Amino acid sequence: MDLSGILNGTMLLISIGFISGGLLLLSSRRWPEDSSDIVNQVNKLLPQTQCAQCGYAGCKPYAQAIVEGEAINKCPPGGESTIARLADLLAREISALDDSCGTFTPPVVARIREQECIGCTLCIQACPVDAIIGAPQVMHTVISNECTGCELCLPPCPVDCIDIDPLNAPDIVPMPFPEHDLPCIHCSLCTEECPKDLAPQQLFLFKDSVQIADSLGLMDCIECRICDRVCPSEIPLTAIFQNMKQSLYRQKEETAKAGYAELRFKRRENRLITRTAAIRKRPGKADAAALLANLKEGG
Amino acid sequence: MPELFVILLSTIFVNNFVMVQFLGLCPFMGASQKFDSAVGMAAATTFVLTLASAASFLVETYLLIPFDLQYLRIIAFIVIIASLVQFSELVIRATQPLLHQVLGIFIPLITTNCAVLGVALLNVRHSRSFIESIMYGLGAAVGFSLLLIMFAAIREKQERKQVPAPFQGAAINMITAGLLSLAFMGFTGMG
Repeated sequence: MDLSGILNGTMLLISIGFISGGLLLLSSRRWPEDSSDIVNQVNKLLPQTQCAQCGYAGCKPYAQAIVEGEAINKCPPGGESTIARLADLLAREISALDDSCGTFTPPVVARIREQECIGCTLCIQACPVDAIIGAPQVMHTVISNECTGCELCLPPCPVDCIDIDPLNAPDIVPMPFPEHDLPCIHCSLCTEECPKDLAPQQLFLFKDSVQIADSLGLMDCIECRICDRVCPSEIPLTAIFQNMKQSLYRQKEETAKAGYAELRFKRRENRLITRTAAIRKRPGKADAAALLANLKEGG
Repeated sequence: MPELFVILLSTIFVNNFVMVQFLGLCPFMGASQKFDSAVGMAAATTFVLTLASAASFLVETYLLIPFDLQYLRIIAFIVIIASLVQFSELVIRATQPLLHQVLGIFIPLITTNCAVLGVALLNVRHSRSFIESIMYGLGAAVGFSLLLIMFAAIREKQERKQVPAPFQGAAINMITAGLLSLAFMGFTGMG
């Protein structure tokens, strides 16, 4: 085979590839991907309590509705911060929480007064994240770690033995950033002195966006206060970093909890689907009649 | 005109791709668990197969033969088929997100459906004309769809029946497919 044959072949394959790739690109513009990706992004911002106070069956359905044009202010557990983040993502106006859906409450958890529980299992069926355990005629209880505080178990309870208690987790609301008069002059003295080779002035620059600060190594800071001492503007850097670490920790915990609740909600949904399918497959009235008729004929 | 009709009917029944030529067996076994998804899969495969046989004919006649590059046939056809599959996935994802969720991985797997490449290569081997190629592709696709839907329906019925323990699972499916194949062999010699 001569060289031109190889060249021809290569060129031909490359051009076929390019042409079909171009056509695919055009058609993907013509038929844009359905909005499922943006739905997932919206869903990630929601608190995953699955409380249905917004009027939808859970957080995912509400996310779907938001993408299709529903208002973003219908999520009471998320509160102002969720609305702000949604508005940021979707480029919409920030609006006050819709009062008809409920009011913002600090995180709560359901607790069953166990001596009063009659073991009716109604709350177990109502729980969107399978956080209640128990059996018929036996006392039930709530797994606090898995409860999202959605209050959906309250209405079905016939003896009203469920309390909603404030979550007795340690209160880690961050303090306001310490005030300081002089601005950072970017002298890099702190960077030179930092024993962990961090860049405190950069971390300070991103004090309002802790995610970025995290990627710059915020968590490696050992709070030795050397940067405080060398800073010519006397910025209380270590105190600021402590606050940032705290709010980062809280954010991470919230995300983890939301992810776990979402997972449990999904599993419950899948289980319900399979169970309905199984019920539908059982022999029905018609089958029984046919069987009887068969038996009569045979006998 | 009558020849085209003969090609169509004979590829659907007499030379059925799945049951007589044994091509495209993986989606036949893999995507036939549920009737609904089998119908969706059949529609997508029909779309791809018909378009692929037309496109591969064009590539063969106007690109490969003039440049004397027939030895690149397989790789060129695979590229064409892959982009057609991507295209149909785009369309399905935009128009029927639900179906897209149900079919999931099976849509990209149409690329590796040997029936699709088989039709394109057989068209070249029998030096069919453009219209004949399309008819052959359509016939193969309809035959495949027919079998896939039939098999899915049988499997759904079968799930409710009590199968003896040694035959449960893949075994009973293989036996069912074998019986179906025997039935289709009965058409041999017609047309």
